Amino acid sequence: MRIELESVRHVYAPGTPFEVEALRGVSLMIESDEVLGIVGGTGSGKSTLAQHLNLLLAPASGRILADGVDVQTIARSELRRRVGLVFQSPEAALFAPTVEEDVAFAPQRLELGVEETRRRVRETLELLGASHLAARPPHALSAGEKRRVAIAGVLAMAPEVLVLDEPTAGLDPATREDLLGVLRALRDGGTSVVMISHDLDEVAEVADRVCVLEKGEERAVGTPEEVFYTFPEASLTPATVRVVRPLRGSHPEVGRPVRFEETLAALKELVGGQV
Amino acid sequence: MTAGRSLGQFYPVASPLHGLDARAKILGIAALAVGLFLVDSMAGLLLIAAAVVLLVAASRVPPGTFLGFLKPVAFIVALTVLFQIFFSREGETLLRWGFLQVHEGGISTGLFLALRILLLVSTAGLLTATTTPIALADGIENLLSPLKRLRFPAHELAMMITIALRFIPTLHEEAQKITRAQAARGADFSEGGPVKRARELLPVLIPLTIGAFQRADELAEAMESRGYRGGNGRTRYRELRFRARDALALVTAALVVVGGILV
Repeated sequence: MRIELESVRHVYAPGTPFEVEALRGVSLMIESDEVLGIVGGTGSGKSTLAQHLNLLLAPASGRILADGVDVQTIARSELRRRVGLVFQSPEAALFAPTVEEDVAFAPQRLELGVEETRRRVRETLELLGASHLAARPPHALSAGEKRRVAIAGVLAMAPEVLVLDEPTAGLDPATREDLLGVLRALRDGGTSVVMISHDLDEVAEVADRVCVLEKGEERAVGTPEEVFYTFPEASLTPATVRVVRPLRGSHPEVGRPVRFEETLAALKELVGGQV
Repeated sequence: MTAGRSLGQFYPVASPLHGLDARAKILGIAALAVGLFLVDSMAGLLLIAAAVVLLVAASRVPPGTFLGFLKPVAFIVALTVLFQIFFSREGETLLRWGFLQVHEGGISTGLFLALRILLLVSTAGLLTATTTPIALADGIENLLSPLKRLRFPAHELAMMITIALRFIPTLHEEAQKITRAQAARGADFSEGGPVKRARELLPVLIPLTIGAFQRADELAEAMESRGYRGGNGRTRYRELRFRARDALALVTAALVVVGGILV
């Protein structure tokens, strides 16, 4: 599914002293089968934007189109099945006595039938490497295990778009790598993935395109090469780019590598394969 | 975010009422609240109502906010009025319809009680909307401090009140987040009868409760690790100051109550 945002504005608590204009007219295209990374400081509107994609929040003005159809005209339950949203610390919403039952929550709402529900629970837990946890109570799991289970709970709806709000925050490096691998696999299987993150290195690694939000507006949208080589700020530049950029003056042939492997290959090339 | 819309939340604007000492406001509001129960005439109640309206205006909190405070009690008010109208047998009979009788006394008592409840909630709202939770707790602790001699845990009580008030918005926000997370998984809180809707709330209430207990644990540990050891010898960052205008406000509140009882 392709999602299009047209000058989306959102204001929290309008008309009170608590009023905050979180989105100031964001226009953005989310292509089908890509990983779109959304980066930006706290308060830049990332989470607000995420909640607009399945209409948990409605725009004050502007439009959101799914495959060209205004999402306001799509039934909410249908929209939420097609656009799966994984919240920041999604483990806070685990509630069932066992992992299996928690993951089955969404498929049961979709009235998929016992066989199909079981199949989805089994498959999503397997995809996230959490099959061995199926019978355990969620509150007894480690933070990383809980995160996997919570993400499985959304994936069990088989969404066409998966939106994740800081999915790797607080995870250990191994779990993080696993999760990024899952996101790539989903993309390769035809699911669009929107990943909000503070970790530029991880966005550089996994994203096909990047959107930088700043104070509720999009500051840049494009491929990681286009976006990450534009900003002077170190706070908006992944480690790989920070290494390569100073070399580009004297060695323009190094190109604009962003991912770790690409960067390593470019640097090897530069030293004439003497590594 | 529905900050500032529910009872018990502070509304940050500058107003004469915001500037008063918390103790003056607590005592003044308490006087008005007690007055509401001592007053037995409609005229007296209207006098207090006029005072409350003036106070709302002076607080510079939009009147709509107070209407928001009143929403949760609307059901109780409606029930009270209906109960009085149909079950009171005082005064002239206005209507007879089968076993139902409506008497004049029922209508006037119903309106009187309704107004009393609405005023009571509004005055409570005035206090919390114009006083920060910290100032409120400091005021309560200070007013209860004479009881410390009797080993009454005034400080602990005030700390409990502060923390409880402080966490209302946090829990509210948390509840909203969990509600949305479950809605994203297909939970529907708007459809079906009351039983079905109550069942739909379980996926919100369970994680909310677990989260609240975890938070309480963490808060207690964080407070201890920052040197909290109860009220003994604790000093204040902001000292309360009772000034002439506070005394004036308190005397005015007392006069309104006495006036309300006398008319």
